[in-house]
This record gives sequence, structure tokens and C-alpha cells, in this order.
Amino acid sequence: MEKRRKRILLSLSIPAFLLIFIFMIIPLGNALRVSLFKWNGFSQNMKFIGLENYLSLFTDDVFWRSTLNTFVYGFGSTLLQNIFGLSAALFVNKQFRGRNFVRLILYMPIMISGVIMGAIQYYIFNFDNGVLNNMLNLFGIENIYWMKTGVSSVLIITLINSWQTMGFCMLIYLAGLQNIPKMYEEAALLDGASKRQIFFKVDVPLLIPAITTAVITNLIGGLKLYDIIVTLTNGGPNRKSLSLSYYISLLYFNDEKAGYSSAVGIALFVIIFLVAVPINRYLRSKEVEY
Amino acid sequence: MKNYEYEKMTMREFHAPNKKVRIGVYVVAVLLVLLYLLPIYVMLNQSFRYVTDLTPRLYLPEKWTLDNYIQAFTSSDLLEGFKNSLVYAAEVCVVEVVLGGLAAYGLARAGGRAATTLRTFNICIMMIPSLSLLVGTYSLMVNFHMVNKIWALALQTAAIGMSGTMFFYTSFIVSIPKDLDEAAAIDGAGILRTFFQIILPQLKPVTVTRLIMIAIGAWNNYAMPSYLLTNTSKSTVVLVVRKAFYVAAGAVQNVPLACAMCAVSLLPVILLYILLQRYIIEGQLDSVSK
Repeated sequence: MEKRRKRILLSLSIPAFLLIFIFMIIPLGNALRVSLFKWNGFSQNMKFIGLENYLSLFTDDVFWRSTLNTFVYGFGSTLLQNIFGLSAALFVNKQFRGRNFVRLILYMPIMISGVIMGAIQYYIFNFDNGVLNNMLNLFGIENIYWMKTGVSSVLIITLINSWQTMGFCMLIYLAGLQNIPKMYEEAALLDGASKRQIFFKVDVPLLIPAITTAVITNLIGGLKLYDIIVTLTNGGPNRKSLSLSYYISLLYFNDEKAGYSSAVGIALFVIIFLVAVPINRYLRSKEVEY
Repeated sequence: MKNYEYEKMTMREFHAPNKKVRIGVYVVAVLLVLLYLLPIYVMLNQSFRYVTDLTPRLYLPEKWTLDNYIQAFTSSDLLEGFKNSLVYAAEVCVVEVVLGGLAAYGLARAGGRAATTLRTFNICIMMIPSLSLLVGTYSLMVNFHMVNKIWALALQTAAIGMSGTMFFYTSFIVSIPKDLDEAAAIDGAGILRTFFQIILPQLKPVTVTRLIMIAIGAWNNYAMPSYLLTNTSKSTVVLVVRKAFYVAAGAVQNVPLACAMCAVSLLPVILLYILLQRYIIEGQLDSVSK
């Protein structure tokens, strides 16, 4: 009886795993297989070339550039989002009128698709009649070509991504701050601790679980960045602001290198895995009980 | 002594700012709100302009016009886009919540080696970046004639999000006492009936927030829809707006019209956000803090 019940319970997960199998495991297998071939993506003509696609990763400048950019998008955004998110959380945690409104506005950009946000931001950072340059003109500064180089484009994309999704971090930290029992701060105050000491010695260690979730979520989100780049720089100038996700789709649909694109896809998969797992483990080991 | 200091500065004063600080707080609040509303301002400002109006984008339009909005509403693309997005988001929601919830229930209650293994497997699946499977997914969809079918894209999107939903539900179901299931079993209820009549009502609040998050994700999804819904009559809102911003070679870009379409497309999202802010904000928190 008990065994039968257990079997039925397990079988409830079959439809869900079937869907995952069809749309994730089969494509993964497919990608692994295709990555061993030279293939343009649509013809019948597939040529087996072994590991050559993976070997050519090493000599492909655009791949390394995109990998570096992906790390900047991942780690840069995570850093900025956490600094700004924590500051914003400390700020809206203060007592002042209208703080709920501020919270509402700071979180709002997350509701907007990255593609659309990129399209609007384009008119802020544009060289010709961009809003930022309009503002600088007020102070007598000439127009600046913000997205002239790959480096500046990458930095601007990182900045906009951090700006857009900062509200998420803010919420996590806000919940974390409100979960800290007031008596800890009171006890520290009683012992003569300063405000700064209370923040670093009491609040921060107790915020580690919140930091863990914020860092992991932002990191994975940043490493997968795609949408904003499409409309803001389209990977330019000269494919210098691509993320790996975007490079994969360009290789497939523009360059018609399906095999090579699959190899880059597998590389991205490995990179995310290698980065997220140890960081998760490290941060979990730092959590404090209270 | 220490006690005196404590009396002088109670916790309320510790958190309450003095007058000078309070003014500072409002200044920061206003600046933050302005920083976060700037793109919305830029978009609205553009949308009321004539195409020929090239005055700085920072300032209000030279001459105001509603033509762009009239054109945006009369073009069938946007309306069609809304319909498609709605269908797509609804399909993703239903598939993900029903199948994900059932599977999570089965895995949470079955216990034993098999269930634990499946749960670990599920967490690994969560890490796979969907674009690394682009080639595999796209060729699968082409082979099975699933391109330009909204239901097929919905299944694919649901499959990508399924592991997250299962993970989310499992953590909540674990906290529902098993006694409830046992009592239902003694009364002769089958497993499915127990799930739908006993467990699901308990999960109502988390289901609402999960549904909102899935719907937002689907509504804003760009990468896969842009490859799988190439037919204009199947475009989602985001695809329609993205296309309005896109400049085809040799064509003249109509930025004001694109901004008007963008504004119309964002209106329902922002209204819903304001109406459902409680669920959205709490939902985001629940999904990560569990």
C-alpha cells in the first residue's frame, strides 16, 4: 500500500520532467552533438570535425572578448547592484514620508523588458541629441560619444543593467534588515558600540543570507545578459560589447555557424556552472545563526 | 556611565534623523525618483513630438501632437501583439503552475532516494542558461514544425521555468503538515484529490505571486520569441515595439511613433504593477528567500 502510494506520488512529476526532457535535455544533447560538426544550421550537409569547434574557441578573439564582457556584466552588475541595493535598502528603511512611493519607483524598471529599456536608454546615451549630452551642454560641455569604444559600451551596459535591476537587491536587503531583531542593536548600543560598529559588526553578519541570495541571483542574471545589448549597442562597435548569449545567437543566425555556436553555448554553460557553484558554497558557509 | 548614554539615546532616536538630516533625506529621495523616472520622461517626451522636431530631447517638444498615439492605436500590430502576449503568458502560467505544482507535491511527499535524486537533478537544471541551448532548441522546433506556434513557444518557456517553479513550490509544500494528507487518505481521498482539495488551497497566496512572476517573465521575454515567432501576425507586444525602434537599411526611423507604441505597451504593465505591488514585491521576495 505504502509502496504503491509512493509510486503514484513520484509519477506526479512525470509530466513536468517530460517537458524538461523535451525542451532542455534533448536540446542539450543536440547541442553537444552539433558542436562536433561543421554545419550552417539548415542544409543537409553536416561534416564531422571532432573537437575542432572547441579548439577554435582558443584562437577566436571575439569569443574571448565576449567572455570577458560576460564576466564584466556578471560580476560588475552584481557588485554595483549590491552596493546600490544595500544603500537604497538602508535609505528606504528610514522613517520618512513617501518612502513607499520611493520604493515603488525604484523597483519599477524591473517590470519593463530589457529590450524596451535598452531602446529608450539609447536616446539618453546617444551622441547626437542624447539626453545626457543635452544636460552636459547646459554646463558648456561638448557632446561626448559615449558608446565610441567597446570598453565604454560595456561599462554603460553594465551600468544600465545594474540601474534597472537594483530594486530587486534593495527588496532582499530590506527584508533582511527588517528581520534583524531590534534587541541585537539595542544590546550593542548598551555596550557602547557606535553606529558604524553596529552596522558592520551586527547588521552585516546577519545579512549574509540576504547577501547570498542577492549575489547568486544577480550573478546568474548578469552572466546571461542579452536583452539590453540588443537595442542599446547591438553588440557594437565591431562586436566588442557582445555577451556570450548574444554571440551564440549571432553565430547561429547571422554567421550560419551552427556547430561553432553550439560549442560556445556549451562553454557558456560550463562557465556559469563553474562560477555559481563555488560562490554559492562559499557564501552558505558564512551564514550566521541567530 | 553606559546606562546614562543609553537613556539619552533610545532606539527610537537612534533610527530617527534630526532636522538637517531629514531635509537631506528628502533631497536624496527626490533625486533618486528623478533618476528612475528619466527614461519614462524621455519616452513620453518623444512620443508627443513630430518626426521633424529635432530640438534637444531633454526639453519639452516644440509643438505637441497626438498623431503618434492615434497611429499607434489604429495600427493593428499593437493590438494583435497584446492579444498574442496575453495568450502566450496565460499558456505559460497554466502549464508551469499546474505541472510544476503537481510535480513538487509528488517530490516533496514521496521521500526516499528517488525523490531526493530528482530534486537535486532539478536544481542542476535551474542553472542551465536557456540561450546555450539555442541551436538545439531551434533545430528541434524546426524539425517538429513548432515555429510560429504560440503554444509551442509557451511549452518551451514553461519547460525552461519549470525547474524554478518546482523548486519554489517544494519549499512551501514541505512546510505543510503531513497530517493533512494522512487525514485525507483515511477519509478515502485519492492522491490527486488530496492535492487539488487540500494542498492547493493552502498554496493559494504563493501561487498568486508565482503566477504574477511567470506572467511578467513571459510578457517581457524577448530572445526565444524573436527567433520562434517570425511571422508578424504572431508577434508579442515586445516584438512589435522592438520592431518599431528598429531601422531597416535605407528606411527612415520614426522615433516618436516608436515611443508612442512603447508608451501604450507599457501602460497596462505599469498599471498592473501599481495595483498588484503588494503581491509582486512579496512574490519576488518569497521566491528567493525560501
